[in-house]
Amino acid sequence: MSTTRVSSHFSKSRAVILVPGLLALTAAPVWARHIEKHFKVDAHPIVTIHNPNGIITIKAWTKQEVMVMSDQSSDAIEVEADQANNRVDITTHAISDTASPDDMRADYQVNVPEDADLQIHDDSGAVNVANVLGDMNVETIAAGVGMADTAGYTTVSTVNGSFQCLRCGGRIEVRSISGNIRLEDVRSSDVLAQTSTGNIVFNGQYLPNGSYRLKDYSGVIEVRFSPADSFDLSATSLKGKVNNEAKLEPSRHGFLPRIGNSLVGALNAGRARVEVTSFNGTINILKRN
Amino acid sequence: MSTMNCTDFLNHIDEWIEGQEVPGARDHSRTCANCRGLAEDLGTIRLAAVTLPEADPDPSPHIWAALRTHLQEEGLIRSGVALQLPHRTGWFDSIFSLIPRPAFATAYIGALVITGFVLSGPVHMRNGQDRWRERTQRTSAELNSQLEIAEQTAMASLVSFSPDVTADLRKNLSIVDNDIALCEKSVQETPESEIARDYLYSAYQQKADLLAQISERGEGR
Repeated sequence: MSTTRVSSHFSKSRAVILVPGLLALTAAPVWARHIEKHFKVDAHPIVTIHNPNGIITIKAWTKQEVMVMSDQSSDAIEVEADQANNRVDITTHAISDTASPDDMRADYQVNVPEDADLQIHDDSGAVNVANVLGDMNVETIAAGVGMADTAGYTTVSTVNGSFQCLRCGGRIEVRSISGNIRLEDVRSSDVLAQTSTGNIVFNGQYLPNGSYRLKDYSGVIEVRFSPADSFDLSATSLKGKVNNEAKLEPSRHGFLPRIGNSLVGALNAGRARVEVTSFNGTINILKRN
Repeated sequence: MSTMNCTDFLNHIDEWIEGQEVPGARDHSRTCANCRGLAEDLGTIRLAAVTLPEADPDPSPHIWAALRTHLQEEGLIRSGVALQLPHRTGWFDSIFSLIPRPAFATAYIGALVITGFVLSGPVHMRNGQDRWRERTQRTSAELNSQLEIAEQTAMASLVSFSPDVTADLRKNLSIVDNDIALCEKSVQETPESEIARDYLYSAYQQKADLLAQISERGEGR
C-alpha cells in the first residue's frame, strides 16, 4: 500500500529565482521534480536503492512505514519506488537516450523503520545512514559513506569514496581502494577495514573477544587506545614504520615472525585481538587524547 | 626414539610428502601426531592438485542437461547453446565460457586467486626461494592473463559512467596495478615471505573485484 505526492519544479527552484544572489553563492541544483511516497511495511523490511549520482540520506524513525522523498535534476530520468511484499525498491534510471551524466542526479531522503535492512548502490554523491539497526550493504564508487548509531551487519565497499562511522555497532566490514576510513567510538566486536592508499583511523572500543583487523598498502593507519583497554596487538608494516605508544607485554598467544617492522604484544589482559598490517605505509598506535 | 624435532621435520616436509628419503622423518612422523597429520593433509592436497586435470572428466549428458536448464532458468546462459562441450577444456571452464556476464569471469579469477594462494602454502612447508619464485611466477602469469581479459571487458563498460566516475575508476585501477607491481617485486625479492604473497594475492583480488564492479554496474545501465 503506498501513497504518492509528486510536484514538478519544486519550490527550491522558485526559491532560487526569488533570491538570485544565492544562486551565485551556492551550487544548489535546480530540481525538476519532487516525489514523495509512503509504503506500509512489516517488521524487518528490506529497502534497496540504486542511484547513479546523488545524495542519499536514510534515517530510522518509529513508524512502521518507509517514506521516500526524491528530487531529480532532470526530466530525462525517472525515479521509481515500488513495493514487493516487505521490500521497497528505489531506482533512478534514464528514460531518454539523450540523458547526460549530469541529468542522472537524484537526491533521496528515506525514512525507514529501525529494523530495516538496506542495500544501497550510489556511484557518486554521498550516502548517509543514521539510527538504522538492520543489516546494511553499501556499494559506491566515488560517493562517501557516513553512518551513525547503526547496529547491524554492515558491509561497505567503495572505490575512492571515504567511509566514516560514528558509534556503530554490529559487525563492520569496509573495503576501499583509495578512500579513507574513519571508525570513531565504534562498539563492534568484529571490524575489518581495508584500503589501499587511503588512511584508516580506529578510535573505538575493544570489546572482550572482539576482533579488529585493519589493513592497507600505503596509507597511514592510526589506532587509538586508552591505558585501560585490553587487547592482543599484532602490527606489521612490511616496508613501512610502526610507531607505538602502548606498553605491551609479551603476548600469551604465541608469536609471529618478525618480518619488516612488526610489533606483537598484549595490553593488559589481551581480551580483544587487534591485527594491523600495512605493505609500505605507517602504523601509529597512539594513546587517546 | 626420533632424533628429528618438529622444526626439522617441517623444514623437510616438502621432500617427505614427495616421497623422498629424509633421515629421521619416518620415526618422527610415527611419534608426533601433529606432524603426521600435517604431512597427511599436505599429501592429500598435493595429490589432489597433481591429479586435478585428470580428475576433471566431462559430466554425463544428464548432469550437463540439468545444469544447463538451471542456468538458462536463472538467465545466466543463453538458450540455444550447443550441448556439446568443447574439446580440450574441462567442463568447469566450459560453463564459464557460456556465461555472458563478465562478473562470473571475474569470480573465476577470484577463485584462481584463492587457489593460487592455497596451493602456494605457508612459508615453513616449502624449501628454496627458487621454488617459491617459480610457483608465484606461474600463479601470477595465469592471474595476469585472466585479468587482462576481464579488463578488456570492463574497459568497454566504462563509457556508461559519467566522465568524473570514469576518471576515478581509471585512477583506482592504476593504483591497484601499482600495488600489484610493488608486491610482485617484493615477492621476487623475498619469495618465502608469506605476508608479501598475501599482499600480492590480495591486490589481485582487489583488481578482480574492481573489474567485476565496473562490468556489472556498466551492464546495468
